[in-house]
Amino acid sequence: MKDGFRQAMAWLHTWTGLIFGWLLFAIFLTGTLAYFKDEISHWMQPEIPARSVSSEASLALAQDYLQQHAPGASRWLIDLPSAREPGLSVRWQQLPAKQGERGQFTEKRLDPQTGTEVQGRETRGGEFFYRFHFQLQMPYPWGRWLSTIAAMVMFIGLITGIITHKKIFKDFFTFRPRKGQRSWLDGHNAVGVLVLPFHLMITYSSLVIFMSMVMPASILASYKGDVRAFFDDVFPASSVPELAGKPGQLAPMAPLLERAREQWSGGRVQRLTVNNPGDANASVVLVRDGADRVVHDVSSAVTFNGVTGQLLSSTPQQPVAMAIAGSFYGLHMGRFASPVVRWLYFIFGLASTALIGTGLVIWLGKRQLKHAKSAVMPFELRLVEVLNIASMSGLTVAVAAFFWANRLLPVEMTNRSDWEVNSFFIVWGLSVIHAMVRRGRSAWVEQLALAAFLFCAVPLLNALTTPYHLGTTLPQGDWMMAGFDLACLVSGLFLAWAAWKMQRSGQVPVATRQRAKPITLEREAN
Amino acid sequence: MLLALMLCYGGFTALCLSMDRHHTELLGHKPSVRRRHSLKIAGWILLALSLWAAVSKTGWSLGLVEWSAVLMLSALVLVLLLPYRPRLALSLAGLSLLASPVAAFA
Repeated sequence: MKDGFRQAMAWLHTWTGLIFGWLLFAIFLTGTLAYFKDEISHWMQPEIPARSVSSEASLALAQDYLQQHAPGASRWLIDLPSAREPGLSVRWQQLPAKQGERGQFTEKRLDPQTGTEVQGRETRGGEFFYRFHFQLQMPYPWGRWLSTIAAMVMFIGLITGIITHKKIFKDFFTFRPRKGQRSWLDGHNAVGVLVLPFHLMITYSSLVIFMSMVMPASILASYKGDVRAFFDDVFPASSVPELAGKPGQLAPMAPLLERAREQWSGGRVQRLTVNNPGDANASVVLVRDGADRVVHDVSSAVTFNGVTGQLLSSTPQQPVAMAIAGSFYGLHMGRFASPVVRWLYFIFGLASTALIGTGLVIWLGKRQLKHAKSAVMPFELRLVEVLNIASMSGLTVAVAAFFWANRLLPVEMTNRSDWEVNSFFIVWGLSVIHAMVRRGRSAWVEQLALAAFLFCAVPLLNALTTPYHLGTTLPQGDWMMAGFDLACLVSGLFLAWAAWKMQRSGQVPVATRQRAKPITLEREAN
Repeated sequence: MLLALMLCYGGFTALCLSMDRHHTELLGHKPSVRRRHSLKIAGWILLALSLWAAVSKTGWSLGLVEWSAVLMLSALVLVLLLPYRPRLALSLAGLSLLASPVAAFA
């Protein structure tokens, strides 16, 4: 019975892992990149300077700008710069032309030091990877559903993997390289077991994030199908005071930052919303930045009267259930992470990606052995091989192409940001065709080598097309820009190593393989 | 975080050495039963100490996150070093155990 159960779990692990593996690989790789989404966006919009100025100073500039350019707006939104997101962004909404319509939004980026407008090149930046990893570039809500189903499959894969893996503790420290299939399995197990807390956290929390979408039954039952009412209860909107109808002079908002910090025992303000800025009953809502704690709280805000500065309301403490959901949310996003912890998140994200990748390789390797002697591979194995190549090495080439497009497409091009995204998908599609045309191993080697070249050349390309290259960013200590270039270089070197390994392992004479075999058999007997 | 990392790494190395197979591979002979037991206990104590090191510095919520992170990182580094550079893996463990009291009081 026990063996039957384990075999059933192994079967489930094998087949769910195969069907969703390609999609999960893409979700995990882009999700891992999204941990550096602000840094990627900054690299992709190098025109927007990074400056360290106090929140107070930049808020005063934003208020001046808005009072000059949008005095009659119904709402102002100000996003203050932070260490990771250097731009100061202001948006305002016009009074709607007709009652009940939404007023038009205008957005401008300001230099937080001088208050002048800055124009960055049009790009989706790191936001593209972030959005792709849960929306998959599909219309709402299909992408979210598909990625949530993939997350459930990942969860099943983790649990069945734990059950199937017989010797978790005995093999805890085991990794035997240069043994072909055995090494892949060792690597899959090691990366799965050693980073298991992260795999479980990231997968489970992704289900928590979309829980109201996946499991709406309790909401529908207790709110009698009125989902809107549920969200109104969970995230109470700050009450906007009625228009007084008399003009009022908005007081300087910078001092409010200090008062908000007192309320939150030191918490930072991320965004300000000013309702009816020209009115005597103007109100200012200060929303807290989530980056200073692990537990995420979307609705933590204080509201002041904009003219008198009187405290109108502040959101109450989070209830425990929401704090638990919020902590999963916070852990998944990692917005609290200091640079070191962020890099660790990145490494573990890559480990999850590697877990999926090694799993796919093992599936194919095991079955290919049976057909090693025959010249042609069965169609289904060939299909898996093509999809493996395109979903792994092809995706890395596509990511590199996205960065290249950002530097090569002309700045004044219309729909520029769409073309960046298009080039990502075109290159990814080409990699499928390439994998179909070429034989398995040469397709791997060529795509990995191309990705290696593209990544290694990113610093060079950056130096040729912008003045923000390593020669200036390193001496200035601009680690956001320099870090991106260096990270690309390191990824390129890693991919080059992988290509070289792949090429060499194709040339290993049969004799050494046979010599390696008795050892593995002996070990398995233990 | 560095202290927690060093303690974790030392702890995992001790736990690794407490297993017959790895002890033989790394040091060339089988460990005695007493030695195995003491290595095992030392390993677990070091891991517990690293939890304390992480939590005492930044509090429970961030401390636990950081501790999990260094736990995974140190195990990953150890397992990747063992087949390629076994002596480096061992000397790193010795070094981090020697340096950890210094880091604790610094």
